[in-house]
Amino acid sequence: MVTPTTSRATVLSPEEIGFLTAGPGRAAETALARLLDAGVVRVARDGRVSPVHQSGGGVTVVETRMLGRLTKPVQFGQVVQASANSLEMRVLQQGLRERKLIRNPRPRMRLWWIFLVIGSFLGLAALTEPTLLVGTAALFGASWWSFGARPVTRAGRAALEGVTGDDRVLTVALHGFRGRVGGRNVGDLFELPQSVVNTVPRKNRKRTDNDGAGYGSCGSGCGSSSCGSSGCSSGSSSCGGGGCGGGGGGD
Amino acid sequence: MAGIEDLGVGIGWRPEIDLTVERLPGVDFVEVVAENLHIGHLPESVALLLERGVPVLPHAVSLSLGGADEVDLHRVEHLGAVAEAVGAPMVSDHVCFVRAGGLDSGHLMPVPRTRDALDVLVANVKLAQANLPVPLALENVAALLEWPDGELSEGQFLAELVERTDCWLLVDVANLYANARNIGTDPERFLDEIPLERLAYVHVAGGEQHGDIYHDTHAHAVLPEVLEVLDELCSRVSPPGVLLERDDNYPSDAEIEAELAAIRAVVDKHRG
Ligand SMILES: [Fe+2]
Repeated sequence: MVTPTTSRATVLSPEEIGFLTAGPGRAAETALARLLDAGVVRVARDGRVSPVHQSGGGVTVVETRMLGRLTKPVQFGQVVQASANSLEMRVLQQGLRERKLIRNPRPRMRLWWIFLVIGSFLGLAALTEPTLLVGTAALFGASWWSFGARPVTRAGRAALEGVTGDDRVLTVALHGFRGRVGGRNVGDLFELPQSVVNTVPRKNRKRTDNDGAGYGSCGSGCGSSSCGSSGCSSGSSSCGGGGCGGGGGGD
Repeated sequence: MAGIEDLGVGIGWRPEIDLTVERLPGVDFVEVVAENLHIGHLPESVALLLERGVPVLPHAVSLSLGGADEVDLHRVEHLGAVAEAVGAPMVSDHVCFVRAGGLDSGHLMPVPRTRDALDVLVANVKLAQANLPVPLALENVAALLEWPDGELSEGQFLAELVERTDCWLLVDVANLYANARNIGTDPERFLDEIPLERLAYVHVAGGEQHGDIYHDTHAHAVLPEVLEVLDELCSRVSPPGVLLERDDNYPSDAEIEAELAAIRAVVDKHRG
């Protein structure tokens, strides 16, 4: 599998594409997809993942760590979850942050618009009393701050432009094992029973204040701007309903 | 025996490789470890294989028919129930004992090849047969040691067992090879002495040489020498079926497929 280069010539690994698309859970799914694709691990019908004997190792540190945990068979969903919460995933995240593809997200405050409304009134009043402009500026600033910030930066979203699911690993990066593409379950691309795919936790839609590194904060689901019309056709509601709005859910 | 004349080439079904077994080409039949199955709750994969018409043969490891202890009829009944649940034409276990004095050995222990031991084995086999709904086949085991004062060769011992009980034989060529390496028995003499017309099917498995000892691990590749024993067997009789046993360190689907193909090549060579 070729490392995809995006339209902006930013080279992203499949795991990074998964991370930018939907957070650490998706990156972990992508790592597992790569190991499955390469025949390094196998899955049983009961969902247990085990290493294939003498079939090579992981290519990335996330994969290597994932394999290292498989001293005995582990449930598919647990493999993803443990990897999403691993130190190696933090390292991947830090790398993206250093490349300014992600940032620390700010959760959107529920009453962010109050600052905007008061600031607007103050702005009108400033027409007759110019000294109020200082307060107006401060309130607009507060409104911008409390509106929150997406975890994926503009550069990160640009890097994802043009990335398509050319192979089944990238398809997992973009849509997750639970996703659907072209009327087909992504899990089917790996001949996985749906019962196994369903062990991958759905995204926890509750927003958190952390930076999204923990699996629970935005598991395999929500994320960045890619949750548009085609970005998440998973049918798992992972991108629906405002779950990955501008707040801090997706990193 | 009706229904098992042409089993083809098969593999031991194990939960860890169930999806592999389902998708591998060239799996004509499978064997399941009877003790691992629960009646009324067959694994989904086994049910799927049955739906596809793949024969499923229960293989037991705990009847301990070569032991002096009383046969545990609950185990026999369970084996029979598994056979009925999967519609198997036959079941199997080993010529061995796994319990003595209430203690479990954890291994398939070889039976002393004395007439007294044969009498005990025959009585136990007859009791098991009387409580089973389908015919019983018995498998030769790999032994790391031979009991002293043996009166019969392994082939003679099994031939007499078949004659007295009308049981079938499940010949494990890897065990024959292991015994040749470890205790110096002669696989050709074994094949000369057993009634090949009572051959139910054949086991092939991998192992590993550790110093002077060959370990029948079922966790390594099948050695060419084991396929040579299969070749020798096939030169005498066309086996109704040949089954690959793999119990650990499961390799890639491609490697398993290659081992099945190698087995099939040996079988087909003699079928012309
Ligand atoms: Fe065997």
